[in-house]
Amino acid sequence: MFRISVTVCGRGISKRLASSFSGENALPSNLRIPSNLVDRARAKRPPPPSDSSLPVLRRCDAAIPVHLSPVQTWVETLERRDSKLLGLVDLHPDVFAVPTRIDILHEVELWQRNFKRISRAHTKVRSEVSGGGRKPWRQKGSGKARHGSIRSPIWRGGGVSHGPRGPTSFYYMLPMKVRVQGLKIALSSKLAQDYLHVVDTLNIPTPDPQYLMDLIRYRHWGESVLIVDAGEELPENILQATESLKTVNVIPAIGLNVHSMLKHEVLVLTLEAVKFLENKLLWHNERFTPLYPFKLPYTDLP
Amino acid sequence: MSLSFIHRSAMLCRGFRASLNLYDHTTRIPNTTIWLRTLCSSVGEANTRILQSTEEYKFVERLIPPSRVPIPPKHDGPSPSGWTPPSEVPPALPYMIRRSRMHNVPVYTDLTHGSRKTTLVRKVEGDIWALEKDVKEYLQQLTGKDLPTQVNEVTMTLRVKGHFDTELKKWLVEKGF
Repeated sequence: MFRISVTVCGRGISKRLASSFSGENALPSNLRIPSNLVDRARAKRPPPPSDSSLPVLRRCDAAIPVHLSPVQTWVETLERRDSKLLGLVDLHPDVFAVPTRIDILHEVELWQRNFKRISRAHTKVRSEVSGGGRKPWRQKGSGKARHGSIRSPIWRGGGVSHGPRGPTSFYYMLPMKVRVQGLKIALSSKLAQDYLHVVDTLNIPTPDPQYLMDLIRYRHWGESVLIVDAGEELPENILQATESLKTVNVIPAIGLNVHSMLKHEVLVLTLEAVKFLENKLLWHNERFTPLYPFKLPYTDLP
Repeated sequence: MSLSFIHRSAMLCRGFRASLNLYDHTTRIPNTTIWLRTLCSSVGEANTRILQSTEEYKFVERLIPPSRVPIPPKHDGPSPSGWTPPSEVPPALPYMIRRSRMHNVPVYTDLTHGSRKTTLVRKVEGDIWALEKDVKEYLQQLTGKDLPTQVNEVTMTLRVKGHFDTELKKWLVEKGF
């Protein structure tokens, strides 16, 4: 044990010596990001023109706190393959610029995976295995070990002593505000990492899936795209185009969840989807605790 | 009351007429009323009519509660209860402390293990270490003691040993948060 720790320390010391020779800017090995982590094609994305004045197409509906200012991003279009910017959009800082809490994202992701889980693993206990009611041989005098039943857990073919028992549910609910905060953090991190794109509508010229793939490749968006629209009725073309594609998916805004956002690299929102999400997510900042479940009517639900 | 009972029992064989009159002596019901006649024991009345009216639903609607906390009315300085609104212009400090959803200062006391008193300042944004320095300075002036504090940079909260919620709330309100 001591010898192993000495060799590890020795290796660490040599690494530290190497880093001190190379310069003060060398990061320790655990903080160095491998160079093939991010898609190299993203670096080729041309930066949008900085001096052109684009109109602000949408301002925030809700009141923004005095000490904060809205974050902005460009509005693109899916009509043509080449990236033409239509304008700017204001995004509310309490939804799109919240401090990133990876622990909350982790909690919500685990919850999403586990709350639906019902494990149906079931084993039989010694009392449930058929047979084994009779004592196999007498207690004393046979020369064999003493046993009470042939289905005890030490026997081959016997019951399992501490195995999984019946359908087990792993259902639990995280507090509503934690789940909402998870959504806000996921949206903020997508925007901060340049993986969020806002689009005016989802109308595309052809139902051809190749058109979408070409568009994504041309604009260097990323590998997988999650497209979100506000309402349930989505245009036919985009539904047909994404039906056969595995990495490009369309969902209505009510279906937005942390797992899907983490699974897909890029998030594409329409202007109506942005409005819908801001409305729904900001309500939680100013609501009362529920007198009765929110499924029942209140005067001003979002 | 007894009169209405006799009245009701007399009407029972014929069925209800203008049933709202029995329950409500004070308010006058508008012209379109719901009235219902039962089939069973009504003598000489073969037809039943049910008229639906949605105008009375306003009595139900006014009972449904709101879900959002209302914005407090404008006050210059403290209100009669002692509540002070946050200042219009946020103070020029490296940190910001937002109000809670009920528009109060987010300073809370905690009592664990029966005798361990702490004060928690939540909803801090910006440079939390500058806030910690200012809080320690203020409490040093107040108590003369150097109190242990704990800064949680992940949750952006500040915990101070001892119960100082009233003092810290007043101090933060004076600063303009």
